[in-house]
Amino acid sequence: MSEHLNQTDPVTPVPGSPTGQYNQGLTPLHPPQKSLIRIGMIIRALILLALALAADIVLQIQLGVQPGMVLIPAALLAVVLVLVLPGRKYRRWGYDMGEEQLRVLRGFLWRTDTIVPFNRIQHIDVAQGPLQRLFGLSTLIVHTAGTHNSIVTLPGLATIDAENMRETIKDHIRQDMI
Amino acid sequence: MNELSTSPVQDNSAPFQRLHPLSIILKSLGTLSQNIFAILILHFSLFDQNIVYSMLAALALITLVFGVTTLIWSRFTYQVTTREIRIKSGLLNRNNRSIPFDRIQDVSLEQKLVSRLLGLATVALETGSGGGEDGQLDALSRTDAEQLRDTIRDYKDGLNADRAEADDRPVTADVPPLFAMDNRRIFIAGLFNFSFVLLAILGALAQNLDFLLPDGFFDPRSWIDAFPEQDTIDGFSSWARIGGALAAILSLVVIGFGSGIVRTFVREYGFRLDRVDSGQSGFRRRRGLFTLTDMVMPIHRVQAAIVQTGPVRARFGWYHLKFTSLAGDSGGETDHSAAPCATLAEIDPILDDCAIDQAPADLIFHRVDPAFWWRGAIIASLLLSGIALVTGTFINGGFFAIILLAVPVSLISYLNWRHHQFALTDQQLFVRSGWWRRRLTILPRRKIQTIDVSQSPLDHPLDLATVTIGIAGGSAIAPLNIAAVPWQSAMDLRTRLFSWQNRT
Repeated sequence: MSEHLNQTDPVTPVPGSPTGQYNQGLTPLHPPQKSLIRIGMIIRALILLALALAADIVLQIQLGVQPGMVLIPAALLAVVLVLVLPGRKYRRWGYDMGEEQLRVLRGFLWRTDTIVPFNRIQHIDVAQGPLQRLFGLSTLIVHTAGTHNSIVTLPGLATIDAENMRETIKDHIRQDMI
Repeated sequence: MNELSTSPVQDNSAPFQRLHPLSIILKSLGTLSQNIFAILILHFSLFDQNIVYSMLAALALITLVFGVTTLIWSRFTYQVTTREIRIKSGLLNRNNRSIPFDRIQDVSLEQKLVSRLLGLATVALETGSGGGEDGQLDALSRTDAEQLRDTIRDYKDGLNADRAEADDRPVTADVPPLFAMDNRRIFIAGLFNFSFVLLAILGALAQNLDFLLPDGFFDPRSWIDAFPEQDTIDGFSSWARIGGALAAILSLVVIGFGSGIVRTFVREYGFRLDRVDSGQSGFRRRRGLFTLTDMVMPIHRVQAAIVQTGPVRARFGWYHLKFTSLAGDSGGETDHSAAPCATLAEIDPILDDCAIDQAPADLIFHRVDPAFWWRGAIIASLLLSGIALVTGTFINGGFFAIILLAVPVSLISYLNWRHHQFALTDQQLFVRSGWWRRRLTILPRRKIQTIDVSQSPLDHPLDLATVTIGIAGGSAIAPLNIAAVPWQSAMDLRTRLFSWQNRT
């Protein structure tokens, strides 16, 4: 495994960052991923606000409802989405490259902890969207033969880490396990 | 055949072949039967029942269908090399597909009634890449189809030389089957296949064929007129009315059983499961009354075994054995049916053949946390009382009775909890689930692909978790899982399930 992967010691969390407690001491995602999650949340919040504004106006005109009955709760929700949720989501993410398996931990309300043995992986993708490129992030996607979990994605890796992980896993892939 | 000369890979001089010419007739008939209604509708509407116009239209349709089908047939070729099958198809958009024998999960021959009359068979190849059949040859002559099937079956990676030997081997037809069902057994299976499908079909037929029925058949007024006056009904004694209701229920039950038996006969008639040992050892299953299917599935493709039963069936000792593999069964089922109605003693040898063991008698099954049922019961009760309150207050006081539904719902979730159990042996994981549809999944641990430990928001306060196991095959909607296990035991269970890796 590359040095780059091990530079963040997974057991002792970085001072000031509560990450270690929430993801069971696994390797956290690359920090810019938090900003990326936040951007996603801002987009969702804007859509929510636009819809709430429309609903507010319609209700006000049609039924004479007090203005702000929809908009104010929506605005509060939007604030939570943008300020609170990204941090929580980010620190619940974690991964661990073991000797023979990849472990991925994710989710804030719906938590999932997946283990994929390397020799069960059929093929691997390293994907990068335009926003991810801006932050130097990549998504590692591993495909298994399982009907459930046929695709396991691990977003928010530094591109160099993702490529190193791909090389590590590649060496373990065996032919025709099914 | 320009494609042949430009073909980049010619590892084999096997010729490109066409499908059997009779398949043109077969396919045309299929297309025509779909369009016969259009002609009928035209005959009655646009052509005003003028038989000449209708005949001309029918002739034009037949010519068109035959022409197009022949064209498609002439552009469909396939080549069987030593390690793969290549299929070229398409009129305008040419498609050139190659399926390595290595990746074929199962091969099935299917003969619909018309194909049987013409001596044809459809070969369907499944690679498990999702989305139905991956290669379909519709249709070859029966002998060609069987030969192709045997070629694929006998293929072993890098070992084609002994194929000639295999051909010389005498066909042992007198080997007793692993499992077969006589008519009596199929009848029993049908009894447990109670369904209202026939009723639905009758309803659908009545709706679609209403032009055959007298005018006003669906007009309630004509029926009311036909009935005697309401007074006469009122005049019946209450016993007669109860009797009428009973007769109605009885006829529904009879239809339910009848359709179950008919359906089972149509599908399972002549059911026979054999073990084949030429090339890769595998299972061969033949069944069907009108549509004959003949499927071969290599044993090493079996991912898990499912033994399914129900509360009544279990009492009589009947079980349904299925195999999970990457490819689905015909008819949209996710698992391959290997013995639709068998006793445990009959299932044992089949499982032995694919190196799966039944649960030992002394194996201790663990129950999951009781929260599995009481949490569901509480949520259902709250939901039902909400509905009962709203409808009872605003619509009719009688709707308050909805809350009584909470009793059976809670009872069923309690029974489901009692039947949700798991056990672990050195080699296998056993998971039982369901009270009405009882499933025992036997999963060899080496076939596990991934394991999830997940928690929903409801799980956090109780610190419970669900263990979901990814297998190659089976249902994507309802994967194999063990619900409501304390989180720490879920993590331990996963560690133990993966421990085979360190031993081997």
